[in-house]
Order: sequence, then C-alpha cells, then structure tokens
Amino acid sequence: MASIRMRNLVKHYGSFPVIPGLDLDIADHEFVVLVGPSGCGKSTLLRVLAGLESINSGDLFIGDVRVNDVQAAKRDIAMVFQDYALYPHMTVRQNMAFALEMRGMKKPEIDERVASAAAMLDIESFLDRRPKALSGGQRQRVAMGRAIVRDPKVFLFDEPLSNLDAKLRAQVRAEIKALSQKLRTTMVFVTHDQIEAMTMADRIVVMKAGVIQQVGTPEEVYERPENMFVAGFIGSPAMNFLPVTIDGETLRLKDGTSFSATGLFAADALARASRGDACLGVRPEHLMVSPDKPSALDIEVSLVEPLGSDTLVHFQLGGVACIGRVSPDLRPRPGDRLPLLPAAGKAHLFDQTTGEAFR
Amino acid sequence: MTDLASNDRWFSRLNTLLLILAGIIVITPTAWMVLSSFKQSFEVTAYPPTLFFSPTLDNYRSLSDTTPFPQYALNSMIVTVGSTSLGLLLGAPAAFVASWTRITWPAVVTLVARMAPGTLFLLPWYLMFRQFDMIGSYWALILTHAVITMPIVIWVLLPFFDNIPRSVYEAAQVDGCSPFRIFYRIALPLVSSGLAVSAILAFVFSWNYFLFSLVLSNSDTKTLIAASFNFIGEGSTNWGGLMAAATLIALPPLILATIVQRWLISGLTLGAVKG
Ligand SMILES: Nc1ncnc2c1ncn2[C@@H]1O[C@H](COP(=O)(O)OP(=O)(O)O)[C@@H](O)[C@H]1O
Ligand SMILES: [Mg+2]
Repeated sequence: MASIRMRNLVKHYGSFPVIPGLDLDIADHEFVVLVGPSGCGKSTLLRVLAGLESINSGDLFIGDVRVNDVQAAKRDIAMVFQDYALYPHMTVRQNMAFALEMRGMKKPEIDERVASAAAMLDIESFLDRRPKALSGGQRQRVAMGRAIVRDPKVFLFDEPLSNLDAKLRAQVRAEIKALSQKLRTTMVFVTHDQIEAMTMADRIVVMKAGVIQQVGTPEEVYERPENMFVAGFIGSPAMNFLPVTIDGETLRLKDGTSFSATGLFAADALARASRGDACLGVRPEHLMVSPDKPSALDIEVSLVEPLGSDTLVHFQLGGVACIGRVSPDLRPRPGDRLPLLPAAGKAHLFDQTTGEAFR
Repeated sequence: MTDLASNDRWFSRLNTLLLILAGIIVITPTAWMVLSSFKQSFEVTAYPPTLFFSPTLDNYRSLSDTTPFPQYALNSMIVTVGSTSLGLLLGAPAAFVASWTRITWPAVVTLVARMAPGTLFLLPWYLMFRQFDMIGSYWALILTHAVITMPIVIWVLLPFFDNIPRSVYEAAQVDGCSPFRIFYRIALPLVSSGLAVSAILAFVFSWNYFLFSLVLSNSDTKTLIAASFNFIGEGSTNWGGLMAAATLIALPPLILATIVQRWLISGLTLGAVKG
C-alpha cells in the first residue's frame, strides 16, 4: 500500500507532448478515477505509473521511493488491462499464480492465496480452464484475480469494463467498488465513462489533452465544475450552455429574452463576472418547470425522450439546442410549451473566452 | 444467388484440377525415383520405362557394400541436427527481440545472407576454417549450415511473435518478469507450433544443402547429399545405386513432414487464421 506523487511529469511520444507537465497526489488507500475523452493521455499516464513507459522529465514517487528509473517488474504494482491480457497458454490457476512464482513464493502459500482470491471473486469453478474457454465476464474476473493475489502496493485499471455488456458492467462496477473498500489498496482506475468515474471514485481527476482540468470528489466535480470542459463532461445528458449578456442582476439571451439572475448562482459568481458577455451553464436536471413564476422562460418542446424514471425534453433557447429533465408525470408532447427556470443556486457562470467558472 | 453458387462450383473444380496437376508434377519424379531404386541397373535406363518388374534390393545392398553409407548418414544427421539446434538457439531469441523492439533490419540482413549464393561465402570460409585447422570438422559444417537454418527460424517465428498481443508481454512485465523470463515462460510456449514448423523447415533445408559440405568436409565428415554426387561420373554412373541413395536421402524430411503435418499446415497459414 502506498501513496503516489507526480511532480511536473512530462511524457512525449516523439515530439508530441502527450502529457505536457502534470502534478498529482494520490493518497494511500485512495480510489482515484482518471476520466477524460478518448486520446487525452489516460492510458499513457497509467502506463507511466506501471513503468511500461518512461518519462521525459519530472518525478514519480510510489510510497517514498522515486521510481523514475525503476523497471515495471520491480514496482510491485498490479494492472488490469483493457483486453485483460491473460496468458493464453496457462490455466486460470496458473495465470493467478504466475506473479507469485516470479517472486519466488513457496507453493503452499501460492495455493492459499490463489484459493482465497478465487473465493473472493467467485471464480473457483473454472480454475483449471484456459482463458479461451471463458466468457468475457469470466476473463475480466480472472484478470482482477491475477491482480488481487499479488497484494500489490497499487492497483491500476485501464478501462477494464469497456468490453462488458451494459448489465454486467454495472454489476462489476459495484463489485470493484466493494472490493476497493475491502482491500483498501491504492487504486487508479482509468475510464472515458463519466458514470463509472462518478459511481466508483473517492476522487475524480478530469483530464483533457494531457492536462488535469479538475481534481475533486464526485460531488465537487459535479456541483462545482471549475471550467466548461468539466461541466460539460461530467453529468449526462451534458450541461446546457447559453451565451448571455450580464446587465446588473439581469441575464439577456442572444434572442433578447431576459430574466432575473437573482438567486440563480451559489456564492457571488455574478459579482465576479461583472458586466458583459458570459456563458450560463444549467444542468438538464436543474431546469425546473415553474408555472407559478412569472420570470420563467417559455420554451417549446421539440423532442421527447422518456427514460421511465425521468423524461428528457429537447428545445431551443436563445438559438441554442437545450435539454431539460422533467417528471414523467408531466407527459410532455412535441409542440407543448413549458415554463422553465434554473433551480435556485444550481446555475453556473463561465468566462466566455477562457471557459473558467466564476465563483 | 445461383450465380454465386455456380461460381463457387467452378472455382472448386478449377481448384481440384490444379491440385491434381501439382500432384502429378511432384509425384511423378518421386515415384520414378523410388521405383527405379528397386530395379536392376540395366532396367533403370530402359526406354520406355518398365512399370512391371521383379523388385530387387540389390541397389540398396550394393550401396552399403561399396560405400560407407551409414557413416555418411550419421554425418548428415550430426550436421543437420547440430545446425538446426544452433539455428533455433540463435534464431528464436533474435526473432523475439526483433518482434518486441520492432527493429527488423538485422532479420533482413540474415535473409539477404540466406538468399546470396553460397559460393559467395565459400572462399572466405575455406580460408578461415583452414586457418583454424577446422576443415573436415563437424563444427565447420554445423556453423556454416546455421547460415541456412537461422534465417528460416527467424522468418518463420517473426509473425508468430508478432501475433502475441503486446499487452500479454506487458502483463508479464508488471507481474515481475525479466525480459529473459518473458521470452521463455510466455513467448516461447505461445509460439510452439511456430517452433515446430521452423525446426522442420530448418532441418530439411540443412539436410538438403550440399555446397558447403562439398568443400568444407573431408571423406570422414561428408554429408549424404554431398557424397551422393560421387555416384555420378566416376566411370559409368551407377543409376540404380544413385536412385537407392536418393530414396534414402529423401526419407527423413518426408517422415518428418508427415509426422507434423497438422502443425505444419496450421503454422504456415498463421497469417490467415489467427490462433
Ligand atoms: N506508442 C505511441 N506512440 C505515439 N503516440 C501514442 C502512442 N500511444 C499513444 N499515443 C498517442 O498519445 C495520445 C494519448 O493516448 P492514450 O494515453 O492511449 O489516450 P487515452 O487512453 O486517454 O484514450 C493519443 O493521441 C495517442 O494517439
Ligand atoms: Mg486508453
């Protein structure tokens, strides 16, 4: 078990800076999820942690040891690969025992460890099968088993759920979280799926083009996104962004519609933004149907997507396509008009040019 | 639909025809050789060739009576097994490293060396081995035959190694494997059919190669195939004996190929069907 420290870590592929300079601390026992769009350098960062890629400059510490020049084999880190990377010529049992053998562990202890990890993951019934004879979900479990038996300092996961079907993914997601609470080993989990990040992480690290956009608990990144990228990436459907002009306590949309901003924002975002152009951000679930409020925005529903628990309504506002999440009891239809208003204290205001949130 | 089906039938007929043709081309001289080896010497050159004759083992008997045939066979075995082993020992790690690092130019160099005419090497080697007083030694033949076997091993194994997902190597690294252990615990077992194929091909090519033995061996270490040239020319050619020798020489590669047929086919078609 160990903490991880990255200091001004730089990784180039050729002349292309995949990670132009990154600082991050991961505490002992912590479950950190790296999330970001495809190609933003999540896997690269994970491989750097594992020692599969060297870094161009900066420092990487695992525990108190600077591991810049320590080989993968010596880092005592376990990794679950996206394609599981099981050894095809070995049985499940041999796959799990392999790393322990490499460490020169005695046979009785290996057997004991394999048995207990197999029991934990419920894979005892196919310990003597080869990976070829397993389903995708079973292989995924074996890959986790291979990591768990080692009792390593750190677990790394590179999108381990992306090859599972939706139902299994939700199940394994919960299992991994339960496992992390039981094992209490430092875990770094990479995904492009913000739902996985939200549901599993102690802390989320949102990345874009190799640069950390925000680090925080799931609640923090959801409730107080630091910029438009994080605001748009976390949450589904994504946050609505509306260009507005601020005039005192009034916000004016591009089509001239104006409404009062009083109470819309937490803290003094409005004061920070002062006058001029800005970007208003409102999550679909924070658009309230408010028939009794005279200031409510009158919108026309263009498309309806019933999800069962909620219903999504699509509409145009100030020339921008927006989505609202409303109660299914409302039974909205295309063409209906709805009075919508951002919930008090739930709206966000961003700088038009930098995308930074006003707080 | 019917068009496609009739196309298919047409192709399969053409395929059968071509296979038969190929079979005839390969089998005719082989059959002629084997049959001739059981004929009396005068019958061998008879025209038209006789198809029905009373078989005799005279040719084989004369072979062992008049030549040190078993000694030659032993020489061939030693040189072939030695050079095949050496080829595997050097070629398998080389192919692994070339695949791992994706640096293939050294492998290309070995291929070029393999394709160059053997005469290119012969003179320098002759002088070199004479310097070390190794002319006529098994080692001279084993070492030089490695020029035949090693490129085969490398080029047969390269696609096999390339076919192993990189993440499997990386998993092994993370699991605490040194590169050397990754080679023999992970990579080698995964290319076992490639090893079999490359070993057989190396064996056959080394067994059949005569040029180096012709020059670098002496009468004690001459290989079968080089020795069989002695049957031609010296006075009148002993055609029957030559046929018997040729039949015996062809046996080991044939037997080998039959035994490992299944591997051979799956190995040679690796590119098309992923294992
Ligand atoms: N071996 C490599 N050589 C060159 N470029 C690479 C290599 N691996 C990844 N990249 C590039 O680095 C960037 C980040 O890749 P990656 O870390 O795999 O992204 P992610 O896992 O977030 O999808 C991508 O633009 C990718 O094309
Ligand atoms: Mg990735």
